Amino acid sequence: MQDITIILQILWTSLATSTYYVLFAVAFALVLKVTRLFNFAQAAIMTIAFYTAFVVVQWLEWPAWAAFVLMMIVTLLVSYALERIGFEALRARGVSVMFVFVFTFMVSEFTAYVAALIFGTWPQTIFPTIFWPVTLVGNIAISAWDLPAIAATVAALVAFFAFMRFSRTGQFMVGVADNPELAALYGINKRQIFLVTMLISGSLAALGMFLYGMRAQVLPQSGVNLMLFAVAATIIGGIGNVAGAATAAMILGIIQNASILVISSEWQGFLLYVFLFLAIVFFPSGLRLPKRRSKFVTGTRALPPGSTAPPAASQA
Amino acid sequence: MSGFNRRLGLKLGAATSLMMAASFVAPASAEDVFRFGLAMPLTGSQALYGQDQVKAAEWAVAEINKSGGVNGKKLEMIVLDTQADPQLGIQMVNRLASVEKVPVFVTAWSGVVKAVAPIANDNKVVELSIGANSPDIAKLGDYVYTTFPLADVDITAVAKYAISSMGKKKAAVVYINNESGVVSAEVYKKTFTNAGGQVVAYEAYDPKATDFTGVLLKVRAANPDMIHLQGLVSDTPQVIAQMRQLGLAQPISSYSVAYNPKLVQQLGAAAEGVIATSLAPGVDDSEAVKNYVARWTKEVGREPNGLPYTQYLYDAPYLVAAVFKSLDGKKMPITGENFRKEMLAMKSVDTPLTGKTVFSENHTVTKPVYLMEVKGGKWTRKAVVGE
Repeated sequence: MQDITIILQILWTSLATSTYYVLFAVAFALVLKVTRLFNFAQAAIMTIAFYTAFVVVQWLEWPAWAAFVLMMIVTLLVSYALERIGFEALRARGVSVMFVFVFTFMVSEFTAYVAALIFGTWPQTIFPTIFWPVTLVGNIAISAWDLPAIAATVAALVAFFAFMRFSRTGQFMVGVADNPELAALYGINKRQIFLVTMLISGSLAALGMFLYGMRAQVLPQSGVNLMLFAVAATIIGGIGNVAGAATAAMILGIIQNASILVISSEWQGFLLYVFLFLAIVFFPSGLRLPKRRSKFVTGTRALPPGSTAPPAASQA
Repeated sequence: MSGFNRRLGLKLGAATSLMMAASFVAPASAEDVFRFGLAMPLTGSQALYGQDQVKAAEWAVAEINKSGGVNGKKLEMIVLDTQADPQLGIQMVNRLASVEKVPVFVTAWSGVVKAVAPIANDNKVVELSIGANSPDIAKLGDYVYTTFPLADVDITAVAKYAISSMGKKKAAVVYINNESGVVSAEVYKKTFTNAGGQVVAYEAYDPKATDFTGVLLKVRAANPDMIHLQGLVSDTPQVIAQMRQLGLAQPISSYSVAYNPKLVQQLGAAAEGVIATSLAPGVDDSEAVKNYVARWTKEVGREPNGLPYTQYLYDAPYLVAAVFKSLDGKKMPITGENFRKEMLAMKSVDTPLTGKTVFSENHTVTKPVYLMEVKGGKWTRKAVVGE
């Protein structure tokens, strides 16, 4: 049973199918890091993204690229509305974190309900067929979905992390994540940053949903169900650590599939909860590599007036 | 003063006697309507089936009332939403039993059927399970009956068929890790082994899984010549797709959940060789079914989801009406207890879309199983077992 082919096959397919989970996790972790909100409304964005693509392909019968573009446009609009009309209003009223969480949860459930009313509850896919032809490389079956999915995800992640690291807005986002008040004092427009964060998060989640909807069936409740994995990965990866969330999502996906080799198949779904439990109990700040003691001070601190030394940037 | 008292007394007396007369009239008018309950998922993930089943039942009730009702009296169906959730099912059935006081109700989905059985038994209200197929349903109590064949019937048929008619010796069973999957997979394994075959792989997958590689690789390594898939409508196509992708070219058998035209559309050539069971006569078997499907296409614009299930739900009001009619003819009070007695005494009822329904003491029915196979991109009838 521990055939090398089997292990490689599981690794490959798990890697391919972890792509959308990674995207969902990064989207969720990013919003949590910068805005400190548990954005459960991401499920609503995912649902709307999927059904937009579905309508364009199956009802309007337009080509796939049109579906992708329209899906992105709708997602950006919905993310904009969610931030400006939803979160901003709640922030202005100074409501508690719990309140915002309940709000996001209600948005997702409401969206699922409306989707069920409009589209019915028959499972749907973006394209009428979900069968992707395979080519055999060695003895490994590689479906025509795998490579484009991995390529798209890698491209999106590279663009995202490059943006965070090298662009001004990206650095501002890190600043706001670290200390919003101090960032505002430095002249960073918090409002704009929150909006940009939501737009990026929505786009990543929509891309993930597009990939998912090309190979699996989606129900109005699917968005909510898929969020579980994203939240688990974010907690295990460490709150505030987006790269950690991405890595955790990928590893969790692979472990969940590979576990079939060692444990009985009925326990597979349970494994996720075991990891979550272990993470919360033993690694509450996430799985981090121990920080090397540095001669230089890291993180921000109050500067005495007249000092010109800037605070060291914290990690994305 | 005394005048006032006397007039007041007269008025009160008149009012009281009028009320007493009215209360004698009230129960009599209740007998002009025969009521029964229908607890189905109208919302939620199973609504795609539930709504169509309710529509079929509503058509039947309308037809019955149009043709004169039950001995001239109206048949009324009270429809409540369970979302196929046991908790909600309990609330709805409590309402049917205690508030609406119906003598009989119809419900489906194994989880709900089992959860509400105690209410039926305690309140002496007949529970007709139609569509759920868990074999335990036969043992849920005095007042729980199924007019839909239980899992042992169609799964047993397809397991035996694989051995006797298809000559398969080694089967792999892949099932979804929930109520419907676990129990039915057991039935397949037992039947296949008892008929002389060998179950070489027996693997479950999580209901939330989207990637079945690990499970399917284990199946592949076991080298079966037949694969039986016991899933639900939302995962069955993906599992079959991945099976074919991973090089599993064996024939795949499933149950009625796979029997829908969308499967062929979703899987294309990968659907070839998929065998599904159907527990009701098809369009080619019965004129009534043909007209029924034509009506769906005309009025709703598509075929019903889970066609065979809707046929059973269409027949349910006819069943109930027949028992009511018999009770009414004998002038017996319409209670759950009497309904049950009369139902068993009648033994069999001719129902329009599923043939004869025969009530049995062991709380089940036996019906022929239709085996359908995807050949050349279409569902074709492969065999009929148990006629």
